[in-house]
Amino acid sequence: MKRISNFLLPAAGILLVGLVWLLASAVISKDLPSPWKTWQESKIYILQPFEKRGEMDQGIGLLALYSLYRVAKGFLLGIAIATPLGFLLGASQTLRRMLDPVIQVLRPISPLAWLPLGLVMFRQSEPAALFTIALCSMWPTVINTTAGVRSIPQDYWNVAKVLRLSPFKTFTRVLAPAALPHIFTGYRLSLGIAWLVIVASEMLTGTPGVGGFLWQEYNSLVYAHILLCILTIGIVGFMLDRLMGAVEARLRSI
Amino acid sequence: MAFIEIQNIAKSFRSDKGVRHVLENVNLSVEEGELVSVVGYTGSGKSTFISIVAGLLESDSGQVQFRGARSSGFPSRASIVFQSYSLLPWFSAMENVRLAVDANFPSWPRERQREQAARYLEMVGLGNAFDKRPSQLSGGMRQRVAIARAFAIEPEILFLDEPFGALDALTRANLQQELAKLCSAGGRQVTMIMITNSVQEAILLSDRIVPMTRGPKATLGPSISVPLERPRTASQLLHDEKAVHIQSRVIEFLTGFTHGAGPARNQKPPAGALPQVKNAEAEA
Repeated sequence: MKRISNFLLPAAGILLVGLVWLLASAVISKDLPSPWKTWQESKIYILQPFEKRGEMDQGIGLLALYSLYRVAKGFLLGIAIATPLGFLLGASQTLRRMLDPVIQVLRPISPLAWLPLGLVMFRQSEPAALFTIALCSMWPTVINTTAGVRSIPQDYWNVAKVLRLSPFKTFTRVLAPAALPHIFTGYRLSLGIAWLVIVASEMLTGTPGVGGFLWQEYNSLVYAHILLCILTIGIVGFMLDRLMGAVEARLRSI
Repeated sequence: MAFIEIQNIAKSFRSDKGVRHVLENVNLSVEEGELVSVVGYTGSGKSTFISIVAGLLESDSGQVQFRGARSSGFPSRASIVFQSYSLLPWFSAMENVRLAVDANFPSWPRERQREQAARYLEMVGLGNAFDKRPSQLSGGMRQRVAIARAFAIEPEILFLDEPFGALDALTRANLQQELAKLCSAGGRQVTMIMITNSVQEAILLSDRIVPMTRGPKATLGPSISVPLERPRTASQLLHDEKAVHIQSRVIEFLTGFTHGAGPARNQKPPAGALPQVKNAEAEA
């Protein structure tokens, strides 16, 4: 019974959204392709996901991979800066008081605002995209790592002290493992944001990827492909979150 | 001069609610190889005391000397066993002990460090739990790991902060015996300061008992020596005339303050008089 509802209820939910979509395409806007029309026009991209026909005219799997690759680079750059910064902020109250206002001001800035600045600075779309992804996605990692380091129980600091651990060992054997679950929560949130940002940055820079394809097809009036991209973005984002969630749960169970 | 000299320690904590004077005018001398127990009520400032002596907490005034040298920070060749075990949950029992061995004997090859850790884990009866994480061990076993870790660095000084406080009575009795064995086993002289709220435990293990008055402004009372033969057993302490006498002296001193009646002979009452409500709490 439980297994049935585990499967049936989400299926019913998807069906319901499909109906709303159908209704919207029939009643509200004639330009919105129906689910069936979307499938008809998109199936070549889905059924041959890794086919390369042109610069933008590629299978959806290939496009998603380009986007994922770009996200991975931006995300890694972001956390490579954010993690040490979080540790420093967690350990030093002075630094925390100095930088907290800056972080709170930088954090809510939209990728659409950073991207032009990146283009001005780097004069190329790829580094500008990475700059934007890294800058937008790093904050949850900074904040969670800071919180993680601050929440390390006094007990563990005492252990490091009484065992007379070197600063290096104190970090690798005590502080890092103690803060790791928090840090991974930060990574998970950061990755979610990085994936959100990719679309905006690809749209503005016109680079091949799911977001770039979406924008090109909008300009060429193939609206079904917009829906294809939207669904792809959602599904890939969901899978990324699940993946990070699984890693996080494993870390927490230790 | 004694091996450990604790002079004029005072400590108060400031918070939004005001200033809390925990310790005042605390003095204690401990000879080399001696095991001194500080016995007092929960919340009287015993843990604050041992934290200061161990250098984990700064005192407001006074000083602690080891072998005549003023100490700051955690002393070398010393170990501490906490009530809360304080094991690192992401490491196995073996790794927890080896981390301490590695930090204290960094020049030893890995294999020797491992052997040292294994030897002490076997001594506390954990020969078959090397690879268990603390979460897979019972409270008693966790504290065994912590004791193995403390002894594995072959300390000259050992601080015990209510080491068995979190354990049930039976486990507690077992571990007390284990500790007594470890102390006499090594052939080395380990100087120990133990914090406990159990008078029996203090009599069972120590050479000398120092009662701590109730806070605020807690201080140490007169030393009561425990001239009993070793090994001692818990049941022997119930009947042995000397043991019973020591026990009643300690309890008399401690209750002398809490009943609000006259303090024990030759003792001034602590400067901050105790509010009646708090006393009732302590008795419960």
